[in-house]
Order: sequence, then C-alpha cells, then structure tokens
Amino acid sequence: MARRSIALLGAAALVAAAIVAGAAGPLRAGGAPLKTAWGDPDLQGIWSQKYQIPLQRPPRDAGKASLTPDEVRQRETQRADQAANAPKRGDRIAPRGTLEDLTGAYDTTFEADPIDTSRPIGPRTSLIVDPPDGRIPTLTPAVQKRMRDMREFMLALMQSVDACKRSQDIACFGVTPGPVSPRRNEAPPHYLAAQIMGDRVINRADGPEDFGLGERCLAGNLPSFGVQQIVQSPGAVSILYEGWQRMIPITSAPHIPSQIRQWHGDARGHWEGNTLVVDVSNFTAKTDYQGARENLHLIERFTRVDGDNLEYVVTMDDSTTWERPWTVNVEMARQDAKANAIYDEPRCHDGNIALKDMLIGARMDDKAYAEGRGPDPATMCYLLCGTGNPEYARQRQEGRGGGAGPAAERGAGGRANGNHR
Amino acid sequence: MTGGITRPVLAAIAIAAVAVAISTIGTRTSGETVPSARTAGGHPNFNGVWQALNEANWNLQAHEARAGAVTQPGVYPYEYARVPAAPVLALGAAGGVPASLGVVKGDGQIPYTPEAATKRQDNADHWIDRDPELKCYVPGTPRAMYLPYPFQIVQSTNKLHVDFAFANAARTIHLDSVDEPPANTAMGFSRGRWDGDTLVVDTTGLQGSWLDRAGNFYTETAHVVERFTPVTGDAMQYEVTIEDPAVFTRPWTMSMPLYRRLEANAQLLDYPCVEFVEEFLYGDARKQQLVKHWEGDSIVIDITRRMRVRPVGER
Repeated sequence: MARRSIALLGAAALVAAAIVAGAAGPLRAGGAPLKTAWGDPDLQGIWSQKYQIPLQRPPRDAGKASLTPDEVRQRETQRADQAANAPKRGDRIAPRGTLEDLTGAYDTTFEADPIDTSRPIGPRTSLIVDPPDGRIPTLTPAVQKRMRDMREFMLALMQSVDACKRSQDIACFGVTPGPVSPRRNEAPPHYLAAQIMGDRVINRADGPEDFGLGERCLAGNLPSFGVQQIVQSPGAVSILYEGWQRMIPITSAPHIPSQIRQWHGDARGHWEGNTLVVDVSNFTAKTDYQGARENLHLIERFTRVDGDNLEYVVTMDDSTTWERPWTVNVEMARQDAKANAIYDEPRCHDGNIALKDMLIGARMDDKAYAEGRGPDPATMCYLLCGTGNPEYARQRQEGRGGGAGPAAERGAGGRANGNHR
Repeated sequence: MTGGITRPVLAAIAIAAVAVAISTIGTRTSGETVPSARTAGGHPNFNGVWQALNEANWNLQAHEARAGAVTQPGVYPYEYARVPAAPVLALGAAGGVPASLGVVKGDGQIPYTPEAATKRQDNADHWIDRDPELKCYVPGTPRAMYLPYPFQIVQSTNKLHVDFAFANAARTIHLDSVDEPPANTAMGFSRGRWDGDTLVVDTTGLQGSWLDRAGNFYTETAHVVERFTPVTGDAMQYEVTIEDPAVFTRPWTMSMPLYRRLEANAQLLDYPCVEFVEEFLYGDARKQQLVKHWEGDSIVIDITRRMRVRPVGER
C-alpha cells in the first residue's frame, strides 16, 4: 500500500547513510598511535565493516571456512554480473498506477540496490566463527515454540487477505487462504520485537504496537555490526551507532539490579591486555536478536589490530535461547576521521509522521468498510504485498540474505524470528 | 626548567603520576572514587555523569511558582489566581512549576524581535501541543544540557561524546578538524577548543528548537557558543551565548552551574521516551482508543480522581 512506502522513507535514509559511510579510510603511514594519552589501548575512530560476509555460512560453502583468493575474485565477478542485471534504484517494476507499482516504487527508489556491492567480498564464508560450522546453534524448544506461536498468529491474520488468494506474493508464503480469523481481535502471543527495519510483522494496524520496531523508531539494538564511532575516557567508552548511542562504564561493579531492563542492556567493560571486554545483560523482552530476548547475555571483545583495523568479537550467551553459545567475528576498517561520515543522531522519531499516517490510513479503511464503501480490512494486505515480480522478490531476498551490514543484519534477524516470510 | 635531559623525564613522571591518579583515584569519606581534576593532557577533567539542578527547563527567565504546568482561570478573575487545568490537575502538588530567578545574564531579557516575541508567547500558550520535549524529540543544543535528566561526558584528546539519558540523544564535540556534515541536525555541528581551563564549543548547523517549556526558541540560523569552566572538581559553570539574527536583535547569554552526580554508583540509565509517547502522539489513531475522549486529534481530558482528606497519621 502507498502508506507503507511513506513509512519506509526514514528507514531508507538510514540505510543510505550507512552506505555513504561505508568506505574505509586510507592507510596511514606508520599507523595511528595505539594507546591513549592515559595509557589505555586506543580504539577510537569511526569503524565500519571491512568485507561483505554473511552472518551464517551459506549451504554452498558447507565445510569451508575461508575462500581462496581465486574464489574471492570469481565471486566478485559473479556479484558484479548479478548487480548489472538486477533492478536498479528507481526502476519501475510494474505498470504505473497498479498496486504493485505503488509498493514497488518505494523498494527500488529508496532502498539499497538488491545486490550490495559497497564493500569487497570477504575471505571468510561466515561472520560466525563458533560453532565451527558457521551456523547459529539450534534454538531451544521453548524459543522454537514461541516462534511457532508467533508464526501461527501472523498466518492467522494473513489467511483472509485477498492478495494471498491470487498471487505468489512473498508476504503470503505459508498462508492457507481462509475466512477472517477471530484472532484478529487478540493480542499477539508475544511482543512484536522483530528488528526488521520497516517491515511489519503482522497484518494489522490497530495501534502502534502492531508495527515493527523499525517503523516505531525503536530499532537499533545490540549486537550491532554497523558503522560506529568510538570515543574513550579513562573510565568510560562511548559508542555512537547510526542514530543511537551506548555508554560502557569501565568498572568492576556488578550489573544493575535485574528489575531494571534497558533497550541496550547494561554494559560493564574492562581491559584484558589490548582488548576491551564488555559484558552486557539486563536486556528487555521488547528486543529480539535472532530469537533472544531479555535473557540475552553478550560478551564483546574490541581489539585494535593495527592503525586501520579493529576486530569486534561478540559471543551470544543465552542458554534459554540456544543450545550452546555462539561467536561472531567482524573485521572493521577505520574510516577517514576528517570526512566524519557518520549519521549519529536519533532523529527517526522526530520525522516519523509515517506511523501516524499509516494508522490514520487504517482507520479510514475501517470507516470505509463500515460505511459500505470499501473492502473488509481483514482482506487487505498491510504487509509487504504487491512486490509482484517474483524474480525481483527473489533477488531482493538474496541481496539481503547474502550481504553484510545493517539491512542484511536486520533481514537475518527477521527470518530467524520466524515472523516474516 | 632544569635542562634538556631531565625535562622529558619530568614530563614523563608527571604524565605517569596523572595516569596513576586516574587509574587508582582517591576516595571520598564514603568510599567512592574521586575523579582527577585534570586529564592526562592537562585540561580540566569533565568526565562523568552531570546534571543541571535548576528550573531553567521550565523557563530560562525569572518566574514565579505556579499551581500547574497548565493553568486555567480560577473562580476569581485575577491572573494571579489561576488554578491547575485538567491535564495536570490530578497530579496535585506534583503538577506545579517551581520558581526561579532565571539564568539569563544581564537584564534577564531575551532580546526577541517583535515578531519573534509574539511567536514565543504563542508557543507558551500552546505548550502541550508544541513543545518538542513532550514528543520526545531530540532536545537540541543547548537545551539537552539542562533538561532534568543526567548526561555523561566522555572526554578524550580529540573529541568529546556527550550521551544523554533523555531519548538516547548524543552529541559529538570535535576538538580536531573534521568536515562539516551536509545537513543540519537537532544537536548541531560542534567544534571545541580550549581557552585556558575553559572548553569553548562553537555550534552551528542546528535545526532550531525550543529552549524551555515556556516557549523560548531559536531557529536554524542560530550560532551557539558554550563555555564549560570548572568551578570545583564536581561543579562547572555552563555559559551559553546564542546569536540568531532571525529572532534575536542581539546575542544574549545564559549561565548556570552543572553538577556532577556524586553517587558512588552513578551511571547513565535510559529514559526511552520514544516508546513512552506513542499514546500521546498516536493514541487518536488507534482502533480502540485508550483515552475515552478524543475530538479529532485533540485529547479531551475528563478527570476522575478520588480525594480523601484525612487527619495526618490516620490510616
């Protein structure tokens, strides 16, 4: 629907900023001083992912942790070909004025190109370094059940959608067409915490809580592999990501009381040699990272490898979510400090007229239906319906799944939640 | 000075001493750590959690206490006999406004142009509808610094980060030379330098915002100069000069102390108001409204409250 298109403008601006900010700075001869004036390891600067590496190892690379230089070159060529053939930003994917055109116009005009070529293909086949298979460990039965419950709820709200009766729309995946479900009047079985920027989780717009965290300007949570600016002092490390910040006290004090829950958790940092080790807990049940909610526990390790390289290693430790802990290693490159290319202001909310507009639009649909002027809103699609062209949808999905960076990160989060597609 | 060989040695010792002072830091009587008065680079040390302790966010200018943040005419027709209005009535004494002598220097006046003075009054008359603070928007420079929430300064050699509890807002103060960003922001583009023991921060590239709950405001053409000067290790004088030819006839200055949060376990905790204001901003567009009475997008407030007056001590 057109309202969706408006909704995603803010998200697109952030993604665009991420891409602009993506270029690494030049190597400095002799490297930067690696200690601060007060003697701590110096992690400061603007850092962004160096390579395009998928979070999880794709099946085609099973058993292979790294690529040879020849393989990297071959994949670069392959990717360039795909990018050349993929729809370009601004391409029209459906006849003007059709439903497909209205929704699709947003996707190609404002979102990242489906094949992301902004950074080189990496020599590793997954960001996950442990377990050795490069895959997220099996979810616990409790979390699998939560995801099934959420998925069932999502499908119940989609079964009466007209678009799912007549097309292979990606939003209709798994939907068995049927009558209007009584569950439309229920609260979802769990908080809608999927972190897919701009993507609605359920086909309903009764209030702000029915929308995705991205649409509510509540996205941007840990762990983040996105662009970040680190500034240090003797007792604290502050990190600005794109549109949000976190404070890491350097302290041996215990975590804050468990009844205090925060969107970005509670961080406790200490130095181990040249590595900043950060322990993060006290997350809220309103966030979701790959299925983990309030019990997520992160052990982050930031190490300055040399002047222009930072290694970010984070272990996800939550036995209520996964059968075993798992670890991601992200190679970050220092950006040009003078160019200062980082969007560091949480302004999404200030400009979020789209959420209000989408709610008003839904109320107009309700009114039109009540007055016999429009269809039953239960038959309308408030999700990503109408992308029409299955090939575009496939490429778009691949572009997201195979890439690294904010869009891929959030896309991966969404699929693991089982709430979407 | 004692000569070419010993000077660097002395310098090294001095730096080491500072480093030790920072890492081992002293203790107050209650046992918490005391930050060093100076950084390793010899500048005043502003690291830590700070907060304004004044009424500036209510109104930068001198004002009398009043019965409610929003008031209405009382039964007597005098301006000084107004009573709390519906939006804050149920809050009782917690809904009023404390008095202040004001923080505007000189004659205490903000030199608006006549048109801007009219707008400021109009802002005040429509406070609940218009103040960006109530919507949890990024508070802007300088208002973020004296909102009634803590903020933390992380002071490094080339940059300072200021992270705010309110709205997860943040600002960067560049002591080094960086390119100007391509667009204006709420917090602006801040360049800092040391003038003796004073950190002078020059901010442009602002969007324009409100300065308090009284409707004082500035625009995107504002040039804001802040001066942070240590008073003691735990207090600094915060002085702000605002120049904005679009609304002010001359530059004017506000000045107030900011205080270090001295709790041994002081740390910045989130005030995630984006989520908190969803009802305020979007409630009228719910399918099933939680507020009973909306007229269009206006909340019409019917107050139901239970008042029991009992003698003190009675259960």
